[in-house]
Amino acid sequence: MTTTVVEPWAEQPLLRYVTESSARLVVLMTPAGQVLAQHGFARAVDLMAASALGAAIMAASGALAQQIGERTFGALFHAGERHGIHLAACSTPRGALIVLTVFGKETSIGLVDLFYDEFAAALRRAAPADQLREPVLAEDFEADLNRSLATLFQR
Amino acid sequence: MSLVNFTTREITCKIVYYGPGRSGKTTNLQYVYSQVPSDRKGRMVSLATQTDRTLFFDFLPLDLGTISGFATKFQLYTVPGQVYYNATRKLVLQGADGVVFVADSQVRQLDENIESLQNLQVNILEQGVDARTLPMVLQFNKQDLPRELILSPEELDEALNFRSLRTFPADALHGVGVFETLKGVAADVLRRLSQGGMGARRV
Repeated sequence: MTTTVVEPWAEQPLLRYVTESSARLVVLMTPAGQVLAQHGFARAVDLMAASALGAAIMAASGALAQQIGERTFGALFHAGERHGIHLAACSTPRGALIVLTVFGKETSIGLVDLFYDEFAAALRRAAPADQLREPVLAEDFEADLNRSLATLFQR
Repeated sequence: MSLVNFTTREITCKIVYYGPGRSGKTTNLQYVYSQVPSDRKGRMVSLATQTDRTLFFDFLPLDLGTISGFATKFQLYTVPGQVYYNATRKLVLQGADGVVFVADSQVRQLDENIESLQNLQVNILEQGVDARTLPMVLQFNKQDLPRELILSPEELDEALNFRSLRTFPADALHGVGVFETLKGVAADVLRRLSQGGMGARRV
């Protein structure tokens, strides 16, 4: 199983959570659906679709909570025949983050939820405050962009 | 906000296609999906009503390849255009790195375009973002319709483009202007990264 991290501080908490909860797939993302770390996805584009949907579910349920006077809902859980999903948000110095966990019969929602609480606490301890960063791309990026898009659209 | 992985040298950006109902936002994504090789795209996710109107969003992940040494991925989203879906529009707009405003060129849709554009400004501001700093382009779609039914790009520019944004005439159904629009917004978003900005300025 592959584990990839965009922000290195998330790696150790994620690996521990995966081991303890026996989760099959885990995605740590921002509320906008940007992935910070993941375990279990082989293709980046599949991961992006899962994170977009996870972020959307959290955003919609959060908006619904406000409609009925709740500040927010806690973790969301859906049970399928072969897989269950656990979806929850936590606040960290890096900002609000969302964790999507997909698990199978080898574990249970109770265990996932228990270890999620520890994972959220570990993320709060490990996360740095969000910081402005230096320029990323070279100023002459447009030639690369033109070439990439031409290849993408087969032109 | 664009996500940059300095370890694996990857960039992920979120682009939102915004505009009034039936202006062609989903059509843009469907055309992109139809043209891009399967190894460079993910499955297109459409959360739509039974009559194929966008209910929450459409989503298409694209792998642009390597740009300035960074593996660059774009996430394309559409919002539901119908007026009463504003709550979900706000959710989709959250964290956008760039916006394509898809205007319907039909004369009778001018008021809807203006209303949607104003709604976009309000929703951006509500997120605490200065709309003037958010990369954005305008697409004047349905330019293939008979002349007497539509406004010209010049007329639409006069009516809608008060920020002097880049504009692209299009016929998204047949792919005209779709590539150019995506290229335009992608360049604007990536230019911010080349200048050190990681997202639109908070107000």
